[in-house]
Amino acid sequence: MKIEKYKKVSSTNILAKGKKHKPWLVVWAEEQTAGHGRKKDFWFSPKGGLYFSVILPKSTVEDIQTLTILAAFVVAKVIKENFDLEPLIKLPNDVYINRKKVAGILTEAVIGSEVKFSIMGIGLNTNIGKFPAELENTATSLKIEIGRKVDNRDIINQIVKELKHQLKIISE
Amino acid sequence: MKEKKFKLNIRNKEYVVEIKPEGTDSVKIKVGGEEFNFKQKGGEKGQGLSLAGTSLPKKNFGEKEIRAPISGTVSEIFVAEGESIEKDRKVILLSAMKMENEIVSDSKGKIKKIKVEKEQNVKEGTVLIIME
Repeated sequence: MKIEKYKKVSSTNILAKGKKHKPWLVVWAEEQTAGHGRKKDFWFSPKGGLYFSVILPKSTVEDIQTLTILAAFVVAKVIKENFDLEPLIKLPNDVYINRKKVAGILTEAVIGSEVKFSIMGIGLNTNIGKFPAELENTATSLKIEIGRKVDNRDIINQIVKELKHQLKIISE
Repeated sequence: MKEKKFKLNIRNKEYVVEIKPEGTDSVKIKVGGEEFNFKQKGGEKGQGLSLAGTSLPKKNFGEKEIRAPISGTVSEIFVAEGESIEKDRKVILLSAMKMENEIVSDSKGKIKKIKVEKEQNVKEGTVLIIME
């Protein structure tokens, strides 16, 4: 798996969109200054969290949409299997633990007569020790939930491996 | 009448035209994959052809439609009517589920009509923009 790691970027989706089409290339940043969800909703992205975008291989728009929905299940599965937590999925694709948001997914595609480029951005609150007051009641992190740090690279590897597997099943 | 097939060149674009008789009083004309059916007026010969049913769309072959590839909401419109654009220009941002789709033009041309408004929900296949 090829991973490009950066210290600080505006957003991994923005950075990945500027890349050439290299399927499954992962763009990972330790920190985002303009992390966002849909409709430019702000995504709190301080150091410690996990922020990455995956360049998806050429697929149909239907397959990408299906994969976007499945991505929430993939993230939830990795959380459940590794940390013995009970994540809840809020469709289409936010993941909650104990009624607080822990992960969000945003897929962006460029479409002409076919899908020219698509990327999936995932924000997962992993090693964030404390949230600002305005987010404290609505956001949580794996560190807060299990009381220890987790390995971000290992989580990326597991998520991307599972996404590849899911896309293979969808497109068959 | 025998089946005929020929090529037409309109505005530097080539169209294959097929004319095929159907029974004794109608004819099928296929242009660029689209079929039009014509029937003889009153069923009598020698009175010319009229359109069978209402299937003939008023289509200008110099125009090109940009359609929604997926159902969603029009979040942004990046172009204006009358504007000339290049190929691959971003024209509309269409949000669907948690996907943000930048719809780009497949060819260069002029924006003739924008058929949707910001925040409008559209179904897959809806015409978003007509180009000429």
